Amino acid sequence: MRRKNFYIVSDGKLKRKENTIYFENEEGRRPIPISAIYAIYALGSLTVTSKALSYLAKEGVCVHFFNRYGFYEGSFYPRESLVSGEVVVRQAEHYLDRDKRLYLAKAFVEGSIMNMARVLRKNGEDDTEVISALQALSEAEKIDEVMGAEAIARNAYYSKFDTILKNMKFERRSRQPPENEANAMISFGNSLLYSAVLSEIYHTQLHPAISFLHEPLERRFSLALDIAELFKPVIVDRLVFNLVNRKVVTESDFDDRFNGVLLNENGRKKFVKAFNERLEKTVKHRKLKRNVSYQRLIRLECYKLVKHILNAEKYRPFVMWW
Amino acid sequence: MYVIIAYDVNVERVNRVKKFLRQHLNWIQNSLFEGEITPADLEEIKMGLKKIIDEDEDMIVIYRLRSADAMKREVIGVEKSSMEEVI
Repeated sequence: MRRKNFYIVSDGKLKRKENTIYFENEEGRRPIPISAIYAIYALGSLTVTSKALSYLAKEGVCVHFFNRYGFYEGSFYPRESLVSGEVVVRQAEHYLDRDKRLYLAKAFVEGSIMNMARVLRKNGEDDTEVISALQALSEAEKIDEVMGAEAIARNAYYSKFDTILKNMKFERRSRQPPENEANAMISFGNSLLYSAVLSEIYHTQLHPAISFLHEPLERRFSLALDIAELFKPVIVDRLVFNLVNRKVVTESDFDDRFNGVLLNENGRKKFVKAFNERLEKTVKHRKLKRNVSYQRLIRLECYKLVKHILNAEKYRPFVMWW
Repeated sequence: MYVIIAYDVNVERVNRVKKFLRQHLNWIQNSLFEGEITPADLEEIKMGLKKIIDEDEDMIVIYRLRSADAMKREVIGVEKSSMEEVI
């Protein structure tokens, strides 16, 4: 069966019985055919039996866990079935070699800047300020400077958010915790996107912890952060504009009893549903000449990276063409 | 493609058919499964079913549709199983 992402927002238990995965709680039992699962996002408080986990591992299903505030906690990343020593060695080489690493880091930021500009233009905003960060990027000689160029673009980009968002204030990007509703949605969306990218990396030979733009830290799959940069504006930010301006998500979907503002259960449900629809939405691919989903675009980006590190084809970042 | 599979098999084998189909398709109600699959999946399902059933006695019907959009689905009464991805 076509594999789908499942998002478990309710509390309950995931178990295996007779080669089928079941989700159970007081409200009932929901069978999920194993061959229909691509990845699982656990957003409620979820109990998983070891039998279920080993069955999911056998089928190569990643499980991403979020805490009750919707923050990413970690992933169950099953033993890899696609292993290529060569890819991992080359990947490390592209990290260790200063010029090679700089090339990839710049490519990620360039793609990210171009996508931010595309999103602004799509919303009828001026993108010259964002584009001008490309100048600083081309002059960058160190990773810090690349990061700096990205920060310039991002500030210019975020300064337009208040004119695009009709029913909510944005003010500035705030994290840990988000200060207002718009920021809460962006944070939640980014952590969902990070998990989605990680699921795609799992299905390639790439090593998830060797990254180029972000420093490969311990305890973090930082390659997912690199690739997610390209897709944040295209997937998450556009989704937030859409949900806010069409009044799908409103003030009642948030909870501000903490220091910051967070989506409540109902809000999270709405957001996750819209996020999944977006991942499954298709666009016509120019080179492949067929329709591909946004999720597939992330996978294609991984394949392009593999080709680059194996010296088969130079990596050019994904830029929204529609 | 989208398939709908209905079966009428001897009680001795009915549970094995159900267990097998549960791995691949969504359970809708007794003796009825459906779901989006690839042609290769369908061959796999057909082979699996042939191994379980007695072809002289049991019957399985497979309806093949181009996609889920090609059908109009309507439920009267209580829907026994949901296919939503957000649980």
